[in-house]
Amino acid sequence: MTQATDRNDAASGIEGVLLANRDRILRFLVLRGAGDAAEDLFQDLWMRLTEKRTGPIADPLAYAMRAANNLMLDRYRASRQRELRDKAWGEAAAVQKPSAEAALISREQLALVEQAIAETGERPARIFRRFRVDGVLQRDIATEMGLSLSTVEADLRKVYAALAAVRRQFDAG
Amino acid sequence: MPVDRTTAIDAQASDWLIRQRDPTFADWDAFADWLSEDPAHGDAYDALASLDADLDALPPAEQTRVAWGAEPVRRRTPSRRAWFGGAVAAALVGALGLSSFGLFGGPNAVETAPGEHRTIALADGSRIEINGASRLLFDDDRPRFARLERGEAMFHVVHKDAAPFVVEAGSAQFVDLGTAFNVVRGAGRTAVAVSEGIVAYNPKGANIRMTAGQGLEARDGDREAPKVQTIDPASIGGWRSGLLVYNGAPLALVAEDLKRTAGIDVQVAPTASDIAFRGALIVDPDRARTVADLAALSGTRAERQGAAWVLTR
Repeated sequence: MTQATDRNDAASGIEGVLLANRDRILRFLVLRGAGDAAEDLFQDLWMRLTEKRTGPIADPLAYAMRAANNLMLDRYRASRQRELRDKAWGEAAAVQKPSAEAALISREQLALVEQAIAETGERPARIFRRFRVDGVLQRDIATEMGLSLSTVEADLRKVYAALAAVRRQFDAG
Repeated sequence: MPVDRTTAIDAQASDWLIRQRDPTFADWDAFADWLSEDPAHGDAYDALASLDADLDALPPAEQTRVAWGAEPVRRRTPSRRAWFGGAVAAALVGALGLSSFGLFGGPNAVETAPGEHRTIALADGSRIEINGASRLLFDDDRPRFARLERGEAMFHVVHKDAAPFVVEAGSAQFVDLGTAFNVVRGAGRTAVAVSEGIVAYNPKGANIRMTAGQGLEARDGDREAPKVQTIDPASIGGWRSGLLVYNGAPLALVAEDLKRTAGIDVQVAPTASDIAFRGALIVDPDRARTVADLAALSGTRAERQGAAWVLTR
């Protein structure tokens, strides 16, 4: 196979990793719901990853797998967006283009989510915000708040359990 | 799908989301394996990850401090010690006289003699059936925790999302995700078999999840994560009904089980120690009969020596 040789190391590195792990990535895409589109999505992923000039990547395979995961989540969100739009044939909905960026939950729903998070207790809610919104690592939150890592972990689980429960309510309602 | 099952799947999906948020997360193959177990896994993950993605819209923590302060003041729960002490006290009622434990300080132990079976009910509705020659520790401060020092116990755990039940044995840790499971702690090894629900092995390390009909055996000091084995769910915790089922177990292990379950002292001669035993043993009140069955099924000879039997090739 011909390889572009004028790319920088990072780019050719990621290409090499994509080629060497093609089957693994394809399996992952299929498991993430790609179905027959897995091959096309692999190409899509290839384009996304090789066009972007990035610095050296510590773990290119993990990087590629994460990108594949994000790609599938974007697709899921776009298709959910379409579903929601098709359901609500309102004017406002009709002008919206399905996209992964647009929020899938309404402001009311977001408020319910916030409430559910708050109801897990002050500490779990705060830990969750540091983790999810501020992007602080669990061990750093533990240090910052003077807690054990397992406490931080347990609190996060608690909040996510509440999120999952709210999520199921949205689905049912 | 039953609510428990969806809750368990949601909990697993959450764990993956939490782990994946770490930029150094690299365990994508294990994630793929989890997805392959059940289509519902991917569905739950997508739905939750999608909701999670929408939370970008939440304001950062620093700005919301005042808002949290505006939350209604929560009723104070009783002090930790009073609460948990109560839980453990309730846990041990009906099992043993309370006087034998220091309830407020240090771990509480429940110990059984070889052949003695005992069931204890915990305050949260969970139940632990303890086989003979076993020792189980409880902790005042952790009502959802037990440590199997040695022996065997079957755990019927009432699941609580916010407080998973943790069983420790050796260096292994098992966390229930809605469950009944059997744990054996022998010399240098810990085995678990799941008969209902889901159990996680060492969630902070290897994080192996087992569902009903699966189990594993971890040897102390093993660097590699143990492999999940398939186990007939009907045979799990068989000691409770006196039916021990084996599929290629070393005779020494069978002897260990007989000692624990029925107080039968069987010694395996070195020449017979590498025999793998396959078959079902019924623990008969007539011990000689149980031992004769074992000998016949394993192709060994059983000789009586005092109170014990010796198996030779």
